[in-house]
Amino acid sequence: MGSGNEILDMYIYETGTLLEQLETIVLEAEKADTFSQENVNEIFRIMHTIKGSSAMMEFDTLATVAHRIEDMFFIIREGTMSVVHEEDRPALFDVVFQSIDFFRNEVDKVETGEPLDKDIDNFLSNINTLIAKIKGETVPDAPPAPAAGGAPVLQAPPPVAGSASFPHALRVNFEEGCGMESLRAFMLVTAVRDVCSEADFIFEPANVENDPSTSETVVEQGFHMMFRNVQDRDNAITVIKAAGSVQDYQPYDCPEPEAKPAQAVPESPVVDHADAAPMMRAVAAPAAAQQQQQQHPKETLISVNLSKLDLLSAVVGEIVITESMVTSSPDLKGLNLDAFSKSARQLRKLTDELQDVSMSLRMVPVSGTFQKMNRIVRDMTKKLNRPAKLTLIGENTEVDKTIVDSIGDPIMHMIRNSMDHGIEETQEERVAAGKDPVGEIILSARDTGSEVIIEIIDDGRGVNDEAVLAKAIRQGIANPDVEYSHREILNFLLAPGFSTNVEVTEFSGRGVGMDVVKRGVEELGGTVSISSELGRGMTTTIRIPLTMAIMDGMEVAVGDSIFTIPINNILSTMKVAAKDVIHDSSSGEIIKCQGNFYPIVRAKDLYQLQDGFTAIEDGVLLWLEAGDYSYCLFVDELLGQQQVVVKQLPAYVNSYNIKSYGINGCTLRSDGSISLILDVASLYSAARGV
Amino acid sequence: MNDDIMFVREDQLEALNAVDDGVDSQKYLIFMAGHLKLGVVAEYVVEILNNQIITYLPMLPDFIRGIINMRGQMIPILDIRARLGLPSQADSLVVVINLGDIQLGILVDAVDQMLDIPKANIHPLPANSTQTLVSGMCSLPDGSGTMMVLDCEQLMPDD
Repeated sequence: MGSGNEILDMYIYETGTLLEQLETIVLEAEKADTFSQENVNEIFRIMHTIKGSSAMMEFDTLATVAHRIEDMFFIIREGTMSVVHEEDRPALFDVVFQSIDFFRNEVDKVETGEPLDKDIDNFLSNINTLIAKIKGETVPDAPPAPAAGGAPVLQAPPPVAGSASFPHALRVNFEEGCGMESLRAFMLVTAVRDVCSEADFIFEPANVENDPSTSETVVEQGFHMMFRNVQDRDNAITVIKAAGSVQDYQPYDCPEPEAKPAQAVPESPVVDHADAAPMMRAVAAPAAAQQQQQQHPKETLISVNLSKLDLLSAVVGEIVITESMVTSSPDLKGLNLDAFSKSARQLRKLTDELQDVSMSLRMVPVSGTFQKMNRIVRDMTKKLNRPAKLTLIGENTEVDKTIVDSIGDPIMHMIRNSMDHGIEETQEERVAAGKDPVGEIILSARDTGSEVIIEIIDDGRGVNDEAVLAKAIRQGIANPDVEYSHREILNFLLAPGFSTNVEVTEFSGRGVGMDVVKRGVEELGGTVSISSELGRGMTTTIRIPLTMAIMDGMEVAVGDSIFTIPINNILSTMKVAAKDVIHDSSSGEIIKCQGNFYPIVRAKDLYQLQDGFTAIEDGVLLWLEAGDYSYCLFVDELLGQQQVVVKQLPAYVNSYNIKSYGINGCTLRSDGSISLILDVASLYSAARGV
Repeated sequence: MNDDIMFVREDQLEALNAVDDGVDSQKYLIFMAGHLKLGVVAEYVVEILNNQIITYLPMLPDFIRGIINMRGQMIPILDIRARLGLPSQADSLVVVINLGDIQLGILVDAVDQMLDIPKANIHPLPANSTQTLVSGMCSLPDGSGTMMVLDCEQLMPDD
């Protein structure tokens, strides 16, 4: 967020969070085909907050839409979900989804500084029609509804009881011409809530929070607060004294405040005049109550700029290295330092802890990204008329924030792909195949300790090898004279420019194939693989390193150079004799491990290094595996296992395409020297030219 | 006649210096690479390091000697002598320059001096020069030779 305006940033952030929350609720509710009273309250609260903050930011169109939705849910809350007729429910869900999209769009515009959509009449009339439908069915006569619903739903005491049980009143006058009296009054209320429990006081006019026109009333008649206890009023007076813009205040013990509903202001044209004020009172009370409930968790969360966390991890990484530089300093050799060693151990423990904590700061659950997919499946189900459900597994798996941000698009692409090409077009087709008429897509995430595995599984048609091959040949990706294995054919799906669906649909098949997915995942250092069985569905597996910042590596030496190989890729290490090595026809070397043959890659030859062992007996073979590759790397010696902080190579060096030779990054060793981190898969590609 | 021209030139030079009060001059760091004196705009120079252990990176052009660790930052090292086809010497200094986002260490033989040079004194290359990496030249006022202005932009990989 670079708008440089903190209030605006906060608005964008908060509204985004609320919309996400709202979407989750509505998706759940749509499955159940009803809104629970809890849901309705929550939606009400969300819309109320959006309305308030949008109005504050002067985004009037947003405030108006939010207001109308709020109105709609007010009716639903009063009369419960039964007021909405079965046949109107899909329309209701659609309207809410549309409004979510509308808000998202507009907030995006706010963020990028584009002008907002002024023309919302169409959308508003949509909502109004729906409101009319809902109302027409159940509330032919508006006034009774609030009377019946107002009291029991809310804990807030009804106004009539108020005057009697809140005898200790206080009139506050604001400074003349200070402006925004309603807002100031509400701020007072918020401040008073800190010293007096909410159930113990009421205030008049009650709708100061959301109705700016109450300002006039406040100016004319003062702002009145009524307390249950004298003690509370005394506390409140202290608060009011400290508040700004207050001209004076008069405590009085008269149980009869001004005629209450008199200030009713034409708040909305849809709801009748008479019920406007009680309705707003109803709004204010639960919103406030919710706010108090939410205050606690809110205070324990802060949002931090990601770049600060990046800096933190970088510094912590340096500390870890510096610590080992200090404690294993050559100056200490031969000295007997009991106290030093003890402190050094303590230091190591603390730095380890620090490292863990700083890593965990960056970890967020994938649930946010996963939840978004619900919406995609829902929209596509409707559009394509192909019933399907999305099952989420392991939503709480935590991964690095940067990964979460960039994994969304690849997943979305695969889900769309599954919906579009995977799930059968008709239910009959599914039934004929002996499947549940409703298609299923499973999106799962799990954490193996070093990497996170995300799988997108559908139970659709699966991949038709022949069709894919024919297409690949047509596209010139495959050679018609070569026989391809099942696996190789599936890999064509990931080739650039490949898309099996001839027809371009709204959702997928825009000519960009799954190579986008592959590229996206590879940018994160991950891999994509596809498996499929014709008629049974398709599984896409995305593997991504949990965090790119720290890994366990094996340090190896070749001549003067030192390389680090990720431990996860190492199957075993071995010493072999020259007679065990088999020479193949293309002057390559092969070794037999556990009954299988694996090619040998010599690091010295690959990288054209000056020094390093040539005789195979002198060095060590590392049996490595990554993705589809399994081979042995010949190096001079193993230096030991290290937890290393991965550093990127300078962009200058990367521009020479060094990554394609398997050199993926570097790390600082405890003596300050540099070790190069090898990428096992691309190293093999470079060595064998595949 | 010759004297006349000389005189006029010096006069103009002084006038320039006086008027612009150093605004139109630039500080250059001059270093030796083989027999050449090369200058880089001093603003680009981050620092000068010696005795650096350069970690060799395979599969790169010869003139990229590898990377060094400068306080946790990885800096690529370009051997300017190899880049210009000059003989390399064993003991050398690294001049670290900063170009936008990219930091680059230039391996040189020795650092000569830091000098304020008026822009007017920097002459373009002869029209049909085939020199690379150099954008201008300037006779040094102390008469110690001619400085070639190194064009740092050209050091960036061309992609």
